[in-house]
Amino acid sequence: MRTSLLVCLGWCALVAQGFAQAPPPGASVSGGGGGDYKSSTAEGGADRLFDVNSDSVDMENGSMQWKGKTFNLGNSRAMRMRFERYLSAPAAGGDMLKYQDLLRRIERLLAPNSINASNYLANQQEAFNLLFQAAEYEVDGNNCLTIATQVQKVWNMRAEFRQLEVTKNQLEAIRKAQEGVVVNRADKIEAANDERSSQGSSKGGAPKLAKSTGGTTELGYRVKDEQRTQAEILAKNAEMTALGLKAQIEFQSQMVGFLLARRYRHCIISSAFYRVLFKSGNQGIKVGAKEVKEFFPVSDFVPTLESLDTLSREAMNDVTIGMHTVDDLVKQGELYSAFERLQETYFLGEFEPSVMMYEQAKKREMLELWRDLRELQRLGDEHDLANVEGYVNKVRGRARDFPGAAILSKVNNAINASNMAVLSAKQAALAGDTAKAEGALERATKIWPQNPAVKEFANQVVSRQDTLAQKIPEFDRMVAEAKWRDIFNKKLDFALALAQDKARSEKLRQVVNRIGELDANIQKAQVLASQNNPYLAWDVIVETSRSEPDDLILAKTRSDVAPLVADYAKTIGIAEKLEKDGGDAAALTAWLQAQDLNPASPACGAAIKRLAASLAQGAPAKASPVAPTPPAAGDDVVVPPKR
Amino acid sequence: MSKINPLVFALGVPTVVIAVLVFVVVGRSGGKFTNLSPFSLKSYRQDWTALQGNSYRLDCKVEQQLAFLEGKGRLLVVSPIVDRDKEMDKANLGRLPVFVPADTTQSFEVGQRFKFKVRLSRDLLLVEDLERF
Repeated sequence: MRTSLLVCLGWCALVAQGFAQAPPPGASVSGGGGGDYKSSTAEGGADRLFDVNSDSVDMENGSMQWKGKTFNLGNSRAMRMRFERYLSAPAAGGDMLKYQDLLRRIERLLAPNSINASNYLANQQEAFNLLFQAAEYEVDGNNCLTIATQVQKVWNMRAEFRQLEVTKNQLEAIRKAQEGVVVNRADKIEAANDERSSQGSSKGGAPKLAKSTGGTTELGYRVKDEQRTQAEILAKNAEMTALGLKAQIEFQSQMVGFLLARRYRHCIISSAFYRVLFKSGNQGIKVGAKEVKEFFPVSDFVPTLESLDTLSREAMNDVTIGMHTVDDLVKQGELYSAFERLQETYFLGEFEPSVMMYEQAKKREMLELWRDLRELQRLGDEHDLANVEGYVNKVRGRARDFPGAAILSKVNNAINASNMAVLSAKQAALAGDTAKAEGALERATKIWPQNPAVKEFANQVVSRQDTLAQKIPEFDRMVAEAKWRDIFNKKLDFALALAQDKARSEKLRQVVNRIGELDANIQKAQVLASQNNPYLAWDVIVETSRSEPDDLILAKTRSDVAPLVADYAKTIGIAEKLEKDGGDAAALTAWLQAQDLNPASPACGAAIKRLAASLAQGAPAKASPVAPTPPAAGDDVVVPPKR
Repeated sequence: MSKINPLVFALGVPTVVIAVLVFVVVGRSGGKFTNLSPFSLKSYRQDWTALQGNSYRLDCKVEQQLAFLEGKGRLLVVSPIVDRDKEMDKANLGRLPVFVPADTTQSFEVGQRFKFKVRLSRDLLLVEDLERF
């Protein structure tokens, strides 16, 4: 039972998840999941439908796993809506082809094999211009404008960089002039000092007072000026470095952003622009290196621009193959597998032309399937097991490859487990174990809340309470009125109602035994009568009537047999009456008369024996000496008057 | 040799035979208790109270001894001897109990026939005198 419950609860939990799968909690763009783009949909049946950790698409959390990475697709509701919108939207038309052509032209212009020193600027400019044309297409989502803005910023940065270079050169010239002034001033001071020293040594004696060396203070200011200029130059150098780094970081951030937003073509175009705009020394990945490395399970892997290109192209390739697979599965009639593949492929590359241009009729078919699956999931969420089978069959009708058997098997297991729990609750309730009954009922309800057996049981419990309230007084009244047959006829109701009342139960048992014995005697009499032995049948009836004088069935049997034994019955009746009135000898005579009719009668034999003993005891030892007056000889027997 | 008149033989022998037969028949049908009325089982069954205290003659056959109490008597079941050809006597067919007090030395066997002088003491037939036949 417990196992069944666990199985059922497990199933219920799985059903609640539906065919959407949940990634590890907190999964994000940078989070490391254990998934694989090779979807677990390759696995079988219900596990595929309900296993929360197997699929690459997670509707619940709005994420998708691909190559061990989790892509955040927004909240689950928005994600579902987006997919549903895609399924119901018409396929992208001819504009899409033009748009694709524009993107390809931009790629070609910036490709390493087409760009050289002569067309370096021209190709950049042409590609730049094409970005604006591409941005006009709705499917682009103005992402090309973002790239153009990014490129423009790099160009502006370059101009700024050049300006800084000029400023730096000017400052360097100033610094050099200032350096010359400082040197000049220092030379003059040294020369004045030398002159003063030489004048003192040539005259001998005590040194004369001479003019002290001037210009020291000025020299100090000049040095300070030169140092300030030097600092400004260094500041300009730092500013230029920061500017370059900022441009790289912004550009690379945008590229990684495109990749993670699954705008693979925009990522490739950004990468191409970056390669052209920045020198080879700046081609290393500074932003998102850690994330990109996670796509490649190699310990000493160095992420580069080409890594981003590779990922983007591989994703595009996967999407193309995925859509071919979807189309093929649809052709094979395996709509459910096709739906799963489409779902994965859509979330991997929803902006890819092959996805956007998929035929509307086929998408419409999958939309219907999607709605049925969602309804099935809802039924699972609500544990509405009774209706699951109908929906599974409906889905099977649409998609013959839908793994319904496993689901139905689990549903049946759950139904059985619930019913078993109800049965257990009933047994416990009948045994008076209320706590156990409650527990079992709770289990049954948890497994299958709408189980009709649970409702029926609840009604029975309520009804039983009512019955208990009514049956006990009714039983007491019937006992008081000695309506044994009526009690017997309601023995099951009373047995249930009086199960907890030992005294009344015992009384009921006695009544049932009593009527059972009575019925056996009635049956015996009926058999004797049918065997042409009505007198013995009558004996049985009479004997039984002594203990059960009011039983209607017995009375009916008696009335059925009575015509067959009218003389016998009449005689016995007379005998009984005479005996009752104290006429033992007359009664004995009547019993003897009855015995003549029914020699095998135990009743007659017993009565005769009884009366004989009585009469013998009561008779006088001697005949009375009284000599009565004899009636006139020849007279007939005096006929006593009728009383 | 004197001859007896044949007429004497012709009249005398039948007369003697008839006389003997009359004697026998009268003797059998009469005997003891001829002065008593025969007991009617039918009347007894109908209302024994009307017969209380009366004495009757009961010709019967012993059917069964129901009880015997030393010093007190015995209770016999007898069946009246009736003429089965008479429709009226058929009503007296049956068995009835009679009490023979202990003061009689007569033995009783099943099948023996007796003439009883019975008196109805309440509803019980008490045998006051008897004769086997």
